[in-house]
Parts: sequence; structure tokens; C-alpha cells
Amino acid sequence: MKRLKYALSVAALLVLAGAFLANATGRFDQKLSVDKQAIHVLNRLTFGPRPGAVEQVRRAGVGKWIDQQLHPEKIAENPVLEAKLKALETLRLPMWKIMDKYGAPPPGTIIRPPSQLALNSLSQQQQSRLRNGSVEERRNTLASLDPDKRRLVLAAAPPQMLEGLPEDLQQEAAKARQAEQEELQKERRKQMPPLNELLTQEQIRAARTGTVEEKLALFNSFDPQKREQVMRALGPQPFSDLPELRREAMIVTQPQQLVNSELMENKLCRAIYSNRQLEEVLVDFWMNHFNVFNGKGQDRLYLTSFERDAIRPYVFGHFKDMLLATARHPAMLFYLDNWQSQAPREDSPFPAEVRRPGLNENYGRELMELHTLGVDGGYTQQDVIAVARAFTGWTIYDLQKYAEFQFNPAGHDRKEKIVLGHKLPAGRGEQDGLDVIDILSHHPSTARFISKKLAQRFVADDPPQALVDRMAATFTRTDGDLGAVLQTMFNSTEFLSEGAWQTKLKSPLEMVVSAVRALNADVTDTVALAQRIADLGEPLYGKLEPTGYPNTGDAWTNSASLLGRINFATALAGGQVPGVMVDISRFNFKDPTSVATGLLNMAPSPATLTAIEKGIREKEATPSLLTTLVMSSPDFQRR
Amino acid sequence: MLTRRYFLRSSAIALAGIGTAPSWLLRAAAQGSNKPKILVVVFQRGAADGLNIMVPFFEKLYYAMRPTIAMPEPGKDNGAIDLDGRFGLHPSLQQLKPLWDSGQLAIVEAAGSPDPSRSHFDAQDYMESGTPGRTGADGWLNRALPGAGSGASPLRAIAMGTQLPRTLRGSREAVAVNGLEQFQVRNPNAASILESMYATTADTKLMSSGKETFEAVKIIESINRIPYTPANGAQYPGNDFGRGLQQIARLIKADVGVEAAFADIGGWDHHSNEAPQLSNLLQPYGNSLAAFARDMGDRMEDIVLVTMSEFGRTAREDGNAGTDHGHGNVMMVLGGPVRGGKVYGRWPGLEPEQLYEKRDLAVTTDFRDVLAELVSRHLGQKTEPVFPGYKSGEPFGLLKT
Repeated sequence: MKRLKYALSVAALLVLAGAFLANATGRFDQKLSVDKQAIHVLNRLTFGPRPGAVEQVRRAGVGKWIDQQLHPEKIAENPVLEAKLKALETLRLPMWKIMDKYGAPPPGTIIRPPSQLALNSLSQQQQSRLRNGSVEERRNTLASLDPDKRRLVLAAAPPQMLEGLPEDLQQEAAKARQAEQEELQKERRKQMPPLNELLTQEQIRAARTGTVEEKLALFNSFDPQKREQVMRALGPQPFSDLPELRREAMIVTQPQQLVNSELMENKLCRAIYSNRQLEEVLVDFWMNHFNVFNGKGQDRLYLTSFERDAIRPYVFGHFKDMLLATARHPAMLFYLDNWQSQAPREDSPFPAEVRRPGLNENYGRELMELHTLGVDGGYTQQDVIAVARAFTGWTIYDLQKYAEFQFNPAGHDRKEKIVLGHKLPAGRGEQDGLDVIDILSHHPSTARFISKKLAQRFVADDPPQALVDRMAATFTRTDGDLGAVLQTMFNSTEFLSEGAWQTKLKSPLEMVVSAVRALNADVTDTVALAQRIADLGEPLYGKLEPTGYPNTGDAWTNSASLLGRINFATALAGGQVPGVMVDISRFNFKDPTSVATGLLNMAPSPATLTAIEKGIREKEATPSLLTTLVMSSPDFQRR
Repeated sequence: MLTRRYFLRSSAIALAGIGTAPSWLLRAAAQGSNKPKILVVVFQRGAADGLNIMVPFFEKLYYAMRPTIAMPEPGKDNGAIDLDGRFGLHPSLQQLKPLWDSGQLAIVEAAGSPDPSRSHFDAQDYMESGTPGRTGADGWLNRALPGAGSGASPLRAIAMGTQLPRTLRGSREAVAVNGLEQFQVRNPNAASILESMYATTADTKLMSSGKETFEAVKIIESINRIPYTPANGAQYPGNDFGRGLQQIARLIKADVGVEAAFADIGGWDHHSNEAPQLSNLLQPYGNSLAAFARDMGDRMEDIVLVTMSEFGRTAREDGNAGTDHGHGNVMMVLGGPVRGGKVYGRWPGLEPEQLYEKRDLAVTTDFRDVLAELVSRHLGQKTEPVFPGYKSGEPFGLLKT
């Protein structure tokens, strides 16, 4: 078995080597012409060129422009972006304040049914008899309650609690349930009056489908209480064109969603408007590398700080610092379960009858497989367990209220551990985890794994091994200085080569943002854009699995993805994406070649141009149709 | 025969929608009631906990190793649903019980990959490639279809979702469908122009996916014109998986040449607090499978559905009332041709020396044993190209002869 596997992997290596040679000899040593270079660096270091950008890069010189992007602190930020971000308050709040202000559901939305309280107020023994007892035991327990309490308990009883009970009790339960439902309904109505009790038909129309001015006038005419009631009844949906009102509506209906919604808006606004494009591309890359899923409980509240405090400060810094920041961040501790991982139960100093948590391997494994060494990086199941033991006690102090990193010595496994051949002596605490971060960030597999992944993002799906090796050498020499690794890559022959030219397929995020940028669209709201990206298969912050989204093109070449792109291009060019204003009048009376060149920054491929020219003979070639066709073309899907 | 009448009716509609009849449809029509055999593959991504899905309630060790998350014995509160006195379904899978009783559902215990990887992503790639230990360029289900060529339907192989899974990638046509309603070109003026653009582009990767797309769009357009109500009162849950299976049912019933279909469902990686999460996931999962079988009705005679997950989970619960990455798992095989109502495979036991690396349920049935039997006996294809280098043993006899 083992020998067979070895033979297979050797065969696979030979095949790979063959493919690589075929590429390398032809193309990765063939330098791009000067004209192509400016387009290429914009395609790779930004979310797509805006009109005029290619000229700017040419004027500045490709090398100098790259150097600027590597030092974002020297680039003046776009005031349009700064104005947009100013409105997003949660981006600047410390974690405890986010928890404090947005962590709890809005007041009045949760009405605890009195029946549930009554059931919970019973003694442990009574509850256990009602839940697990025989028919006899359940009936006796119910009979022992006073009638008012019994009615309430019956209203809360799940079906299995009533199973087999006599008819009169069943009926009493049904009646009690119905009475309580009506009572709750009334209470809800009082707290959240329906729209038609608050507004006239005309006002409802104005609130739902009126113009921006109508909506503003209407809401400014309400006193604060009524304004809140109406907001609560309407929800955020009607305010796609009024971000301030939508924000208000979200605060009263779904404050927890607001936090992640502002983070998405932050991401899209920065991708679309920031002058520090490389930084944004890298934040996206590393957020995906250290993926955290917004659908896992508290993480939707933690993600804002994760991106701001654990990822963004380090994208040009040292890998080790970013790795440590992610390891300690509540978002990661919660996502990969480390916050509750403690010394294995058999080693617990507590008596056996005290139930306490034990070891959880989740973070230990993904830390090596996905964050550092890579799956073939040379670790074993024993290493997974040792790393998990080293991180026991790395937890979150008060999930709901403060959500801060805490080392809990009581949960830490104090025995000796061997991690990848390194001995971590017994009797230590937090230092075990710190040592593991150190071991992993200096491991040669990590240098290779990170370098290859960066090269896949910036150079080609199958990057030349020689380039990866040189990047890994820089990584090792500079103690994981990511800016230096990027520099090695951008200065390489391979990066500015024909082998890399137009080989990357845009991800959904890249496709959507590059289209918005190419049209110089004015974006007042990003909710609809985020939805489009999700429909294309890449919901922002929404990847459930810790792998993150694919870094290569295969995942996005399929029918669903292609149709999604075509339909997005149609909507965008037709001005049908809410919150995105496009002005394509510059394409009025222009022929297909000029429209395509305007959007692609180069001549379209012959097949694209021929199809458009032939196709529009019998049709009216409106700027919107031409824009749709170019943005749907194979040419626009590449970068 | 009812099915034949249905076939002709829907084919006529499909023909009307397309204009000229494509060759695959004429060929299908000529076959009449001799319908193609269909294989539906369901992938549970994230390593589902087979030991709590098919509960070995006869094992004392099962209860010893899982003090807080074991499913109670049949008859107890929230107990497993007894199947054969040894194994029981998780109570959330109650809707699958009638399929077991009617002999449509078979279970294969301790199935999985011989490869030892506990990486979700490697293990999924290996399983989807059909080559344990190695990620291939294409998927086993794609290779299991007769060779590409004229006369094949553009919808012969369909996957639900925004991505084409590795299982279905390869030289045979395969399309990803993220909702039938979305599967259209919304700009009628652009459609034909883009079709010819993608047909002639030098970008070979996009050309092939473009070709498949535009052909499939026309067929799906005609299907979309007919409103769909699931048959026999079937009710699909409203999650993506339920919607996906409903769309597979709809496409199969439209007789547009579906030979293979794929749907996946994620969220099985329960490292902590497993019990409520697993229940919440299994309920819509089981209900979706049951709704599919009910909806397909007689057509289940031509269909085999098989489920898999990249590996199982630790036999012992971990320190947080969850389970970590393990090895052996359970597969389900569902369909009219299935010799169901039986648990297949050799149970390896849960004693420490019986466990894989002293921690996981061992694999006694290579997942390819199950799939090879379906490929050869249901699809009528040779298994050697589908699972290269693999010699299948004596077939289980999962399918009726």
C-alpha cells in the first residue's frame, strides 16, 4: 500500500514537472511589453483599473508605482472613501463597545412567554419527571401543581411531554397554548404596532416606494417614538437608497446584523475607492487565508476587530506577528473552538464528577494544515494533538461582554509536549503556544506554503517553482517579512512575463468590483453589490469552511458562475443595481472597438470583437448593450 | 405506461421550446420508456459523524466513549430508530424509516477511504477524484459517464450550486445550476451574441463552459415555463439542499437526458456542542432525501442515490461534547434498484485494538467498493477507468439482479 502510494506520488510529480517545463521554457521568462506591463500590474495589484489609471501608471513608471503600493502610508487616501467610511461607526469601536452596543437583541423584540418561565421555575426533580418520566409520573407531577401554574406548564409542554396523558389534560394543554398565543400576539402588537395602525395608505406608499425626498420628509415629520415604531415595522429593506435611514432601521430591528453589514460595506468601499489598492487586495487575501465564518454565532460581531486588529496591521509586516494576532483573537478562538479546549480530561486535576471541557483538535490541525505548513508540510496526528495541548487555556474572557483574549492557567495542559521534534518542557503555561507560533512561522514548509499561495494570487494558478523558491528564501532570510516577499515576487521576471499575462480568472468579488471601477460608477450603497457577489458564489465573510475561497480559477469556470457574471453585467450596465450609479454616456455613438478598449484598456480579442460586430448588425447598439457584452466577454473575466 | 406518457408530454414541450430537436432528445425519445439509469450523488462536506447518524446501540463501548453525546437506545426518549436490532437511525432521520421498511434504503457501515488523511480538503479531493491519496484532474462521476460526443444532452451531468464539484469535473459535459430560475440570460439582446462569442473564443477553458452553458440555458428555459409541483405531496425543506434535490427531481422528470446529478450539504464539522447541531442538520437532510424519493415516485426505479462524507469522526467524544476528525463512516444507498432494508459491510468493533489508530472507527469497506458496484451494475460502465488501479472485490449485491 505504502509503496504503491509512493509510486503514485512520484508519477504525479513527474507529470507536474512536465507541465511546468512546458510552461517555463515558453513563457515565464518572456518579458511583457511596456504597454502590457502597466495593465498587468493594475490587474494584479488592484481590484481593476479605473479609467485613466493605465496612463497614470505609465507616467509614474511601473517600478515606481509598485513601490508606492508597497508603502501605502505614503499614498494620500481618497477623500471620497474617507467620507463614506466616516458614517460607519462600528468600524472604529473597540470590541467591548461593539458587544455593549450591538451585542444584545433590540429591546422589546424578545418576549419571554410566561409559560416557559413557569416550566423553568419547577424543581429539578419535577422537570426531570416531566421530561423523562413515565405517563404515571408525569400525570402525578402535573396533578401536584396548583391550577394556575399547571395551566402555564401545560402551555409550554412539548408534544413528547403530553404523549399518553389523558384526554382532559391534553385538552387543557391545547387551550392553555392557544390562550397564551393570543396574549403574546396582543403584547407584540402593543410593542410593534403593524404599519396600517401607524400610517395612512399614502404614507405607507411613500415609506415603501416613494422617492428619497418623500421618505426623508415623511420620517422627519415623526416624533422619535413614532419614528422608531415605523422603523421597526418597516425594517431596513425599503432604504436601499438611504443608508442613514437603513442604519437606523437596522439598529431597531437587527443590531447584530448591522456590525457585519458595515464591515461588508467597508470592504467594498475600500476595494472600489481606496488609493491604497494593494493593501486592500492583501487584506482580502489574508482574511481569506485566516478565514472566519460570519455565520458562526458571535463571530459576526468579532470579525470587525479581527480584520482591523489582527490582519490589516500586518499585511506588509512579519508573518509571525499576524499569525500570533490571529491565534489570540476571539474571532479565531471561537471559530476553530480553541476557546473551550482544555487539558485532556484524564489529566484533569478536578474530580471526575465535575464536568469540565477537555481537548479539542480543531485549531491545532487547521493551524498547521491551512495557516502555516500546508497539508503536506510534514506534520503527523501526534503533532496535531501536541499543538492542541500547547494551546489549551488560550481562551476568551467573557464572550458576550468583553470578548478579550485570556490565558486560563487552570485549563492548560502542563505536561511535556513534542511538536515537530521540538520539546516543550512540562510545567509551563502560555509560553507553550507562543513557542508553537515561533516553531511554525520559522518552519521551511511555512515559507514555501505562504510563498506559493501568494504567487498563486498574484502570478499564476500554477506558479513556477523557481519563483516560489526565491520567495521562500526571502521569507526565511527576512524572518517572514511579507513586504520583502512581495517585493521579490513583483521584481521577478516571472511576474511581469507572458506566462502570467491574463492567466488569472477573476473571482466573483474581483469581477464585480473591477466592473464597478471600470465604469467609474458612483456607489452610494453596497448592499446590492454584496448580494450580487454572494449570488456568484462568494458571500463576503460567508465561507463556512476554514479553507477560505479557492485561490485558483477552476472553481469559477462553470455555467452558474458564467451566467451570474453575464446577468450582473446586464444589471450594472442597465443601471439596475440599487445604490450604484453608472454613467455610460461617454460611450454614446461609440463603435464596439472603442467601448471594448475603454473597458479593457486594450483591444478586445478577435473573437469577442467579431461576435459583437456581427451581432449588433440587426440590433440597436446602445452603450448599455455594448457595455454588457464587453463585461460579459471572456476578456473581462481575466485579469 | 404512465411514465412513458409523461415523457412524451414533457419532451414535446421541450421540443417546442427549442425549435429544432437536438439529437440527444431524439435519441432519448426513440428509447421510449427505456429510460436512462440515473445516479445521484450526495456529499456531506465537513466529515459527518456516522456513529451518531447510524447508531450502533448494541455496543456498550459506544455509550462509554460518548457519555454526553451518544444517542439513546431505541425506545428511550430521543432514542435511535431501530433498524435491525443492532443499528438505529438518528431520530431526526425518522422520515427515512419508511424507505428502509419498503426496501429502498440500504446502509453500508464502516465505509470510507483507505487513505489516512484527516484533512477535510485533501480527503474530499481524493474521494471526489476517486483516487485515495491523490487528487486527480477530473472526478469519478464524470469518468463514470459514457464518453463525450455528439448526442449527449448538455444536462447529462448536473450539480446544484455555484460551483462545479471535483466529482463532476472532466471531459464529459457537466453544468452547475444555482437555481433553475437564475439559469437564464436576462438580456435577450445579448444572449445570441454571447453564445457565438463564447463558441469562438480562444480562451479554451471559458469556451467549453460557455458552450455547455448556452445549450443548457435553452433547455432550462423551456422547463421553467412549466410550473412545478412536487408529486405525491412531497415537501422539500426550504434549505439549499432541499431546493437542490427538488431541482434535480424537476430536471429528471423533464426527461432532458440527466444521467448523473450531484448535491452537497456542508456544516458537519462538529468539534463542539454536537448534539443539537447534528439534530438540526439531520432533520432537513433526511427530510430532503425522503421528499426526493416521494416526489420521484415510480421513477425511483431508474435512480440510485448514494451518500458519502470525506471521513468519519472520533469514536470518543472530545473535550467539548463534540468529535474530532476520524476515519470510517456510513454510506447510504437509496433507490428502486437497491436491495434495501439491510445493513451491509463488516462492523469492525469499538475495542481499542479494533479502532483505527486506537481512536476512530476502522474502514472495512472501501468507498469504491460501493461506488464501483453502482457504476458497473447501475450505469453499466466499466469500473477500471473510473477508479484507476483499483480492483474491486466481490460485489455486495447492493442492487437487485
